Amino acid sequence: MSKTKTSKTVHLTIDGQNVEAPKGAMILDVTPGLGVEIPSLCAHPGLEPFGACRLCVVEIQKPGWDDWYKQLVTSCLFQVEEGLKVWTNSDEVRQNRKVVLDLLMARVPASDVIRDLGNQYGVTKTSYAEVDTEDTCIMCDICVRACHAIGRDAIASMSRGPDKYVDVPDKDACIGCLVCANLCPTNAIPFTANDNGKRRIWGKEFDLVTDERSGEVLGTTEYIEHVRKRAEDKGLLCPEDMKHESARVKRYGYAQKLSHVADVEEPIEEVK
Amino acid sequence: MTSSNGKPFGSVKNLLKRAEKILKERKKLKQEIRVCAGPGCIALGAKDIHKELCKQLDDHKKELEAAGLELNVTLSEKCTGCHGMCEAGPIVTIEPEGTFYTGVKPRDTKKIVEKTLLKDQLVDPLLYQLGHHRGGGKVKHYADIPFYSLQLRVALRKVGVVDPTNFDDFLAEGGFQAFAKAIAEMTPEDVIDQVEKSGLRGRGGAGFSTGRKWRSALRVKEDRVWLICNGDEGDPGAFMDRAIMEGDPYSVLEGMMIGAYALGATDAWIYVRHEYPLAVEHLQMAIDKLTNAGLLGENILGTGMTLNVRISRGGGAFVCGESSALMRSLEGKVGEPRAKYVRSVEKGLHDEPTVLNNVETFTCVPAIIDKGAEWFASMGREKSKGTKAFSLVGKVKHTGLIEVPMGRTLREIIFDIGGGIIDDRPFKAVQTGGPSGGCLPAGKLNLQVDFDTLADAGAMMGSGGMIVMDDHTCMVDVAKYFINFLIGESCGKCVPCREGLYQLYDLLNKITNGEGKPGDLETIETLCHTMEVASLCALGKSAPYPVTSTIKYFREEYEEHINDGVCRAGVCPKLIVYHINDDCNGCEVCRKHCPTNAITGEKKKLHVIDPDLCISCGICKSVCKFDTIDIMSGGKIVSRDVVA
Amino acid sequence: MTPSKKAGVGSPRSGAKTSKTKKKNGAGKNASKVILAATDEILAHYPLEEASLIMVLQELNDQLNWLPPKALERVAKKLNVPFGKVQGVATFYRAFSLKPKGKKTVKVCTGTACHVRGASMLVDELKRSLEVEPGEGISEDGNFSLETVNCVGACAMAPVAMIGDHYYASMTPGNIAKMLKKEKPE
Repeated sequence: MSKTKTSKTVHLTIDGQNVEAPKGAMILDVTPGLGVEIPSLCAHPGLEPFGACRLCVVEIQKPGWDDWYKQLVTSCLFQVEEGLKVWTNSDEVRQNRKVVLDLLMARVPASDVIRDLGNQYGVTKTSYAEVDTEDTCIMCDICVRACHAIGRDAIASMSRGPDKYVDVPDKDACIGCLVCANLCPTNAIPFTANDNGKRRIWGKEFDLVTDERSGEVLGTTEYIEHVRKRAEDKGLLCPEDMKHESARVKRYGYAQKLSHVADVEEPIEEVK
Repeated sequence: MTSSNGKPFGSVKNLLKRAEKILKERKKLKQEIRVCAGPGCIALGAKDIHKELCKQLDDHKKELEAAGLELNVTLSEKCTGCHGMCEAGPIVTIEPEGTFYTGVKPRDTKKIVEKTLLKDQLVDPLLYQLGHHRGGGKVKHYADIPFYSLQLRVALRKVGVVDPTNFDDFLAEGGFQAFAKAIAEMTPEDVIDQVEKSGLRGRGGAGFSTGRKWRSALRVKEDRVWLICNGDEGDPGAFMDRAIMEGDPYSVLEGMMIGAYALGATDAWIYVRHEYPLAVEHLQMAIDKLTNAGLLGENILGTGMTLNVRISRGGGAFVCGESSALMRSLEGKVGEPRAKYVRSVEKGLHDEPTVLNNVETFTCVPAIIDKGAEWFASMGREKSKGTKAFSLVGKVKHTGLIEVPMGRTLREIIFDIGGGIIDDRPFKAVQTGGPSGGCLPAGKLNLQVDFDTLADAGAMMGSGGMIVMDDHTCMVDVAKYFINFLIGESCGKCVPCREGLYQLYDLLNKITNGEGKPGDLETIETLCHTMEVASLCALGKSAPYPVTSTIKYFREEYEEHINDGVCRAGVCPKLIVYHINDDCNGCEVCRKHCPTNAITGEKKKLHVIDPDLCISCGICKSVCKFDTIDIMSGGKIVSRDVVA
Repeated sequence: MTPSKKAGVGSPRSGAKTSKTKKKNGAGKNASKVILAATDEILAHYPLEEASLIMVLQELNDQLNWLPPKALERVAKKLNVPFGKVQGVATFYRAFSLKPKGKKTVKVCTGTACHVRGASMLVDELKRSLEVEPGEGISEDGNFSLETVNCVGACAMAPVAMIGDHYYASMTPGNIAKMLKKEKPE
């Protein structure tokens, strides 16, 4: 421990590969580029680690542990350590991902994203009681957290346990920025991006503002007002993190529609 | 009620002087009569008894005065916290003799005053009757009742002894001696040393070493350390912390004050469960009193120590017993547990270092400081020192609150202290550790109870609930009960817990409805494994224990439900039918009470239940005075007593 | 035997559950004035910050017996907490009710001790006779709501029902009618 205290990087192995990683980083964050694939639905580099979906589980072993002893941890929430060994695709890992996906397939039978992932882990039909719903929300709270990051807090999760759901109780707080819908891993938030200058989401209709010269859609009136105020208050124009979102999410293949908020011009994939 | 004539004590010496003075006054007391005001006794009318008793004593005094006589003996009365033997309530005890009266009614108080207090005679009908299996007989003193004589009270040492609303009373019983000792004679390091050496492990469930926790918080050099006392006792069937907070709030606070001294904490919270209004009342009263007396607030006893204690009422969420969820709740947020990589001793409440301990843990601390770490460590077992409070409930004769040294066997606790099973029916299982615990069968009765033995057996110490079950308890139904409880309490954040519990309930529900299929048990086991290893917090990780432990020890009961559609305990409504036997004398009571008119029959003639109309509500059985209604499952009568 | 409350996991997210109900009851403006006055009175005792939220809601719920949307809006504004968060907290904790309640609430303890002694039969019988679900609805005469509580800490008298401060010990389905008759207001 004392050795690593001063140094800024640690050394670990991931599926046998030697990896040098910055101290304090989570396992999931250091895997890109290693050719290992850890599925995850609720993680997002622009947001605090959350640990809701439990898909990104991996097995770890710390130095000094008995050879046979490994522990299952969520890679989005586990910090890298000196000498750590990580297995991202062991039988135990696959088995638990399989059960999680099995459960999700029962919860959101209408979701293609979940079904495709489930198929990858050998679940073609759920072992559990299917919920009769067209809804595809898996309560990962990405929308809630993103809305908070943007500074609106319009979306909140309600109730608890299996009754948990996501809602916008105060419609006035929603600015129609579409970040929630864009980041949703299971395309669960229905919206219309541009219908003759109108945008609809969360049961609310917005007027879109178009750049007069280029004809580019800039966003809703409320969104532009919010960005302007935020720039005044905090010197922030928009959450930078939202930009490099698309690359990451595309890589996992969960959603093709993601892009920077202001880029949304065309109704990419409208849900209902 | 006045303690320090309204003035703060100002110094440790003054506090000790005051305690001495009260003790001297107390010596003049001839007798003290204590009315139990625990939740059970209050429900049975303890308050009226106390009122009546005060009146009787007053009347007596007036009589003497009228006759020109002076009262040559001083009698006093008080309401105390729970005495523990709730099923015998309302309880009245008389000290110093230790006379123990049970089932007292307001009209009995006259006799108690006239006979026992004034003439030293016993009121025979109120004495405790020993069970027949012990050869009967009445017991005069509670020290002779096995329920009490086999106990050893440390955390509960003052519960049932002191008046929880009276600071002087607490001082008279040795209160604040430990705090005075700590602050005057010990360094914070000494205090932590003693707590660590005592081997005290957290009483809230996880059993982490309290001393080590404190030490690790000390290492985090930050300006502010928060101290939190967890009184969010959420386990159903557990009420130890409630009894302590209601019956001895000063000890909880004394423990917190010693902890604050050791850690240098200046701000503390007590998080009390929503359902415990009396605990909040008593704790607040104690905090106010201590603040006025200069024992809380700034410059405590002139030492420069500062401590402010505030109470927060929980919002009614079991998950808030989990420490990180509790801290979110204190911040005014939804009680969702936090990822574990953040340690609360480093970043807890408001992202500041935080030490959280349970009510019982804090209450043990003054006793350790007072009597020394060696004394505490001399009790219990090698890795689980000291004593543990349990609430012993369910199908046991003497339900109530008990405390025993670690290492007592389940058999001693259930049969010697608890007096065995109601109606001497066969013992089937004991459930320990609340919803996250497990059910242990008769084969485990010789298990010596401590943190590790219970965990090894697939159960848990938990906060100390012990629910005894007899042969009329269906183990599948019990597992379903706990899962249903947990569904309502899961925060819903992570998938294995939220969806897993939902599906687990669905599977168990099908089994209890006779719709189980072969293979269900394997599906359940696979699911339980993932919930155990992949859930986010302790609630989810331990949520499958009630199921895994019942499958482990009572697998044949599950299989009977699935394969034969039989519930041998006669509990699962879809698998049982009610049937009136030939002893029926046609009293018509059941027919009149049946909500679905499923019972037909003429007066004085055998009645019959139409199974198609019957909804198995059980009303007929509960109203039949002649016990002529049987429960059948799989063609066999399952409701009849196996034991004659 | 207590059936799970849920028909399906989660709920439709069509906004059906949003608190901004349009329903106006007879008392109308007057009632909302009372509500807001009570809310302001309570808010005056607390620092206006997020940490006070739960305590304020508790006092409100104690006083009004439920949390009317108007009160929640006021609390959100005064404590400067987004309304969504207030709504989230109000729906998360058991202690809060987002619907008005009957004159009296029958609480059935469903702690483990009560369960093994037959509490679920009490719940079933109460559901039948009051025609309400636990935590939902008011009996037709407006008198009673039904609730289940995890443990009231009176395990020795299991199974237990509570109305107000009064405990009904060792209850059976057979004497529920008697209890309701006795507790009927007026």
